[in-house]
Amino acid sequence: MLLGVYDNPDTVLEATENLIKSGYDIKDVYTPFAVHGLDRVMGIKRTRLSTAAFVFAMIGIASALTLMIYTSVVDWQMNIGGKPSFHIPTYIPITFELGILFTAFGMVSCFFIVNRMFWGRVTDVIDIRVTDDTFVIAVNVHEKTDVKALENSLISNGAIEVRERINEI
Amino acid sequence: MYESPIREKLILGGKTYHDISSDICRPLENKASKGWWIGFTLSAIVLAVWIYATTYTMLVGIGAWGLNKTVGWAFDITNFVFWVGIGHAGTLISAVLLLFRQKWRMSINRSAEAMTIFAVICAASFIVSHMGRPWVAYWPIPLPNAFGSLWVNFNSPLVWDVFAISTYFSVSLVFWYVGLIPDIATIRDRATTKLRKFMYNYFSMGWNGSTRAWHRYEMISLILAGISTPLVLSVHSIVSMDFATSLVPGWHTTIFPPYFVAGAIFSGFGMVLTLLVVGRVVLKQEEYITLEHLDAMARIVMLTGTMVGLAYITEFFVAAYSGVEYEQYAFINRATGPYWWAYWTMMSCNLLAPQVFWIKWARSTPWFLFVMSIIVNIGMWFERFVIIVTSLHRDFLPSSWTMYAPTITEVSILIGSFGLFFTLYFLFVRYLPTINMTELKSILVLKDSKHSHDKSEKGEAHHG
Repeated sequence: MLLGVYDNPDTVLEATENLIKSGYDIKDVYTPFAVHGLDRVMGIKRTRLSTAAFVFAMIGIASALTLMIYTSVVDWQMNIGGKPSFHIPTYIPITFELGILFTAFGMVSCFFIVNRMFWGRVTDVIDIRVTDDTFVIAVNVHEKTDVKALENSLISNGAIEVRERINEI
Repeated sequence: MYESPIREKLILGGKTYHDISSDICRPLENKASKGWWIGFTLSAIVLAVWIYATTYTMLVGIGAWGLNKTVGWAFDITNFVFWVGIGHAGTLISAVLLLFRQKWRMSINRSAEAMTIFAVICAASFIVSHMGRPWVAYWPIPLPNAFGSLWVNFNSPLVWDVFAISTYFSVSLVFWYVGLIPDIATIRDRATTKLRKFMYNYFSMGWNGSTRAWHRYEMISLILAGISTPLVLSVHSIVSMDFATSLVPGWHTTIFPPYFVAGAIFSGFGMVLTLLVVGRVVLKQEEYITLEHLDAMARIVMLTGTMVGLAYITEFFVAAYSGVEYEQYAFINRATGPYWWAYWTMMSCNLLAPQVFWIKWARSTPWFLFVMSIIVNIGMWFERFVIIVTSLHRDFLPSSWTMYAPTITEVSILIGSFGLFFTLYFLFVRYLPTINMTELKSILVLKDSKHSHDKSEKGEAHHG
């Protein structure tokens, strides 16, 4: 794996675009902040986390309604001030709140799972400066790859440094 | 083509990406300053007052307070609504302003969200202590029980409130933590001591800045903002329904939900100003939290203050127009009865005082903003006091009319809750970055950059 180190988000965006056009297999680009357009250039498919969020919202709404209807209609009806036990308008606030609660926790848990993030994970950063001010393009090197040409195109696209990395991340 | 600059630059001083990391991490990487120790110690002493007064209340019971059979809710719920309201500005800044793409939020959202979480903790403490028997505080939760399967009453706004406040607290915490992860990773990679490396590595969850992770991160941030926006509106609406669904004149008004939400944003921005006007100087962040930021917050304070004022006047109009004499009396009594001073404190602090922000000088002079922010806080505390106490103290039967005055215990709990809040805030300033570094880096315009990757919303002058 060959790493091109850059110091500017614009350069890294152009470099990624050019390298992909030249047919190189880019593993990932590591940036200190979300560089807009980079995901599009790399051809990353739109994440399905938004669908997950919707599903969790529906689960939350269904659980809230089930809870309220079961407890106050099926299991034990209470007469408080002569008001009806089964009254959908007064169920709205809690249904809404539980919908939000399930969405937030469900979606964020899915986010951690797909990113393989967990507390205490041993971090393998590609370059220690990548969380500060450095942008790194990681290009997979295959048997057929012309390493010299790849190195040149990384540099000609503005890399301040080119390094090799043996281990997979 | 020449684009005129709409706004001043959001970050001054010609910073680089590395400068942002170093400047924001400085307070938590260096030894704590003398100022921090003084502030932390003072807060901790006031926190001790809170612990003492709350413990005393729990041992003695609600009899330690000045409540009577006419005024059964007073200081406790005033303080609860006050603190919950303060929390709302944090969510407003981080969620609503994100949806409106207001980039100036990025320098202030982290500390405002921290404020939200700590304020909700303070608010929750009042809920627990006002129960009288805090060891049965789990009763509003629908748990299977041995009281003849007695479930909670889902028609009651107090039960809605339990769900609203706990959802609000936990979702705010998640939103805050997700926003912190990349910054925690920055501190982890800058760490020089073993302990710091270990702790920040633990909480960074292995964040490595991969574009795939960023892509998902942007999506969940957007959705969290999208769900937090209706959440924050719902929470204070539900808090207002605790009053509005009752039959007490002065409480039973349909205007309450929007009026409470506007008031919450107003008071929250007051507190954000209190914290940041001081914080930006002490933490040397004037180049990140610029006068332009303070100006923008002052405008929101003025807008929401005027909205709240409009609500006060509307309430009067509706009472007069309704023809209900109890309703009319409740409002006349508010303005001219024995608690007139509280009413006029509220009116002058919330409606009149913020009007000075029509003047540019008032919006951009830090010491004056600090004074104003305190006035706003006082005014909003009195708003809740006026709504709660003046509506209750003269009820339908003149024979039960009475006055309410807080005891020393109640005042100690209120003052002590500021100790709880500031102790948590000082710890936050010491251990976590008070400004979102990654977001700031994304809006930074480098000096030598030919063009920025996100030019449309920068408010920068572009030549080309």
